[in-house]
Amino acid sequence: MLEIKDLHAGFDGNEIIKGISLTIKKGEIHAVMGPNGSGKSTMAKILSGHPSYEAMGGEILFDGENLLEMDAEQRSLAGIFMGFQYPVEVPGVNNAEFLRMAHNARRVKAGEEEIDPLDFDDLLSEKMKTLGMEKKYKERNLNDGFSGGEKKKNEILQMAILEPKLSILDETDSGLDIDALRVVSEGVNKLRNENNALILITHYQRLLDYIKPDYVHVLSDGKIVKSGDKSLALELESQGYDWVTTAN
Amino acid sequence: MSDTLVESSAESAFLDLHKKLIEQGSPALAELQQAALNRFELLGFPHSKHEMYTYLNTKELVETAFGLSDGSKKVSEDFVAGHIYPGCESQCLVFVDGILNRNLSRLEGVSANLVPLSEAVSDQELKKYLLETIEDENDVFAALSTAFCGEGLVFKVGDNTQISGPVQVLFVSTGGSPVMHAPRIVWQLGKLSEVKVIEKFVGVEGGYFINAVQDWLLAEGAGVAFTQVQADVSDSWHFSKTRVHLHRNSRFHSSNASFGTQLARHHYDVRLKEEGSELRLNGVSVLDDKEQVHNFIRIHHEAPQCISHQHFKNIINGHARSSFDGTVIVNQGAQLTSSDQLINNLMLSNDCHADNKPNLMIFADDVKCTHGATIGQIDEEQWFYLQTRGLSARVAKELLTRSFAKSIIETIEFPEVVKDLNGTLLKKLEVRND
Ligand SMILES: Nc1ncnc2c1ncn2[C@@H]1O[C@H](COP(=O)(O)OP(=O)(O)OP(=O)(O)O)[C@@H](O)[C@H]1O
Ligand SMILES: [Mg+2]
Repeated sequence: MLEIKDLHAGFDGNEIIKGISLTIKKGEIHAVMGPNGSGKSTMAKILSGHPSYEAMGGEILFDGENLLEMDAEQRSLAGIFMGFQYPVEVPGVNNAEFLRMAHNARRVKAGEEEIDPLDFDDLLSEKMKTLGMEKKYKERNLNDGFSGGEKKKNEILQMAILEPKLSILDETDSGLDIDALRVVSEGVNKLRNENNALILITHYQRLLDYIKPDYVHVLSDGKIVKSGDKSLALELESQGYDWVTTAN
Repeated sequence: MSDTLVESSAESAFLDLHKKLIEQGSPALAELQQAALNRFELLGFPHSKHEMYTYLNTKELVETAFGLSDGSKKVSEDFVAGHIYPGCESQCLVFVDGILNRNLSRLEGVSANLVPLSEAVSDQELKKYLLETIEDENDVFAALSTAFCGEGLVFKVGDNTQISGPVQVLFVSTGGSPVMHAPRIVWQLGKLSEVKVIEKFVGVEGGYFINAVQDWLLAEGAGVAFTQVQADVSDSWHFSKTRVHLHRNSRFHSSNASFGTQLARHHYDVRLKEEGSELRLNGVSVLDDKEQVHNFIRIHHEAPQCISHQHFKNIINGHARSSFDGTVIVNQGAQLTSSDQLINNLMLSNDCHADNKPNLMIFADDVKCTHGATIGQIDEEQWFYLQTRGLSARVAKELLTRSFAKSIIETIEFPEVVKDLNGTLLKKLEVRND
């Protein structure tokens, strides 16, 4: 589904990602861990098409298509979803209305008709319920004044509404208490099937107890310095990153 | 305020025009018009550094050779009907080129409230007020307006009377050639009276100069909800002055939505004269191409315990310009004044321009006053975020721009006007955004 080949990338001419290769197949979950500033969010932003970040070498193929040639909208419509580490607040844009617009953009792309507003309201209510979100979040403006945890839930709500093929969740677990983490993880697990894939960026092995990865990669200074299975996360938790970064 | 009494040719052209007006006008108004003309002569048209006209250039306007319109030009009923808001059908005043057109108006609900200005000036108190405001007038265009006021109107609401449903005033300018007109309305609100008013300014063809003056005189406890939609043809000049006098515990809530013209200017002069009065002055403008809107505002807190809020937002694209020159003056003795003033500009192009001069002059010591102005662009992170959810760059930008205007449009208390603005004013953004 996703093939990253020797990717070099950064912004303003600074190279942050210094040669990453990674292949993700349908149905897989990949966890990406690594110290602060190692380039995890930069990689996620490159994947989602942030205009300030540029690829300086290598390529990314998504379902065989050159991802780097698509803009953010096209990537989203192609099925890529980015759950942001720090979702922006958009005052004045109603949450439910925005979700409906996003949902409809996807439907129109698929050649379907726009959803009836009442049907969408039902769909939204159902998805919110599974994430333990109160109704009032429909009326509020997009992320406006939301707590850190509320913003993260709202990201997963968007993921649920958009049903992407590939989701990149950048520290979705940070800011969630243990109960919220459980609810959100269950929500993410419900959305999984053999045709979609997940990249989980996290600092904590705790998340991986709920959403079990097939692979764990450690990023350090813009490179993947170690890859392994789930047990790698446990080792990292007990030994710290120095163990992998210095060994390399 | 004027530097010289020697008239330039621009002023003399208007003086000549005035002679024609006096010939065809109402004798009862001649004294008022003459006093205003004298004031106009004394003030003279503004030079480029005039303190009231710092941010706009009136040269082309004052050098245009205007004719007078007598309100006899035909406007179709369909045109008028297209601009009357649902719910206002039985109480709408239609002015054509500055003169109330009784055939096009629907006065059933309000006929008892209307007095032609020429009759109303026989009330010595009102006449005294009008003459005094002329003596104190420092805005040359407002003086010019009164000098040329046609058959103005006084709209009276008696004590303890609430006018049910909104009253609409539609100002139609027929244009097509350079003509000037000067509608004039005095709103006199009795004790504890209430009225809701929607004004809309539209044009059939361009070229006209509408120069309107209104007075709002609110007695104790009176309440006004006032919305203005300035939707003139862009190839026109729109000047307006709104004078407001607030007595004890009265409330004046005003929202202005402006499409702009080649030169549009709104002048507000508000006096909070007695304790407990409250003002809310909001405005939103959406400007493109070479359109302009300039707000000039003076709020005088003359008594303790009064409140004034101002919030203006401008969305500016193309080569458009806006300015805001607003001062809140808190007199000595106006203790416990609460006042805030905020201007936000959203700049959508590199060639657009906004000037802001929020200002406070405080002569009392126990007050709570704030003011500020911002100039910003579309937030790149917000824009990107929306695009990652599958919205196109254009739709995302439009959504953000609409959301910027929303906080002002939401304060308009008439759903039909909000609907109209969503479909027209905010639609202006769609064409050029890409
Ligand atoms: N917009 C930006 N402006 C300036 N520096 C940036 C920007 N984005 C990333 N960086 C820098 O790039 C490097 C990688 O940052 P990135 O956010 O990708 O790290 P991260 O692995 O996600 O860290 P964290 O675990 O703290 O989220 C850091 O040195 C960071 O300071
Ligand atoms: Mg990060």
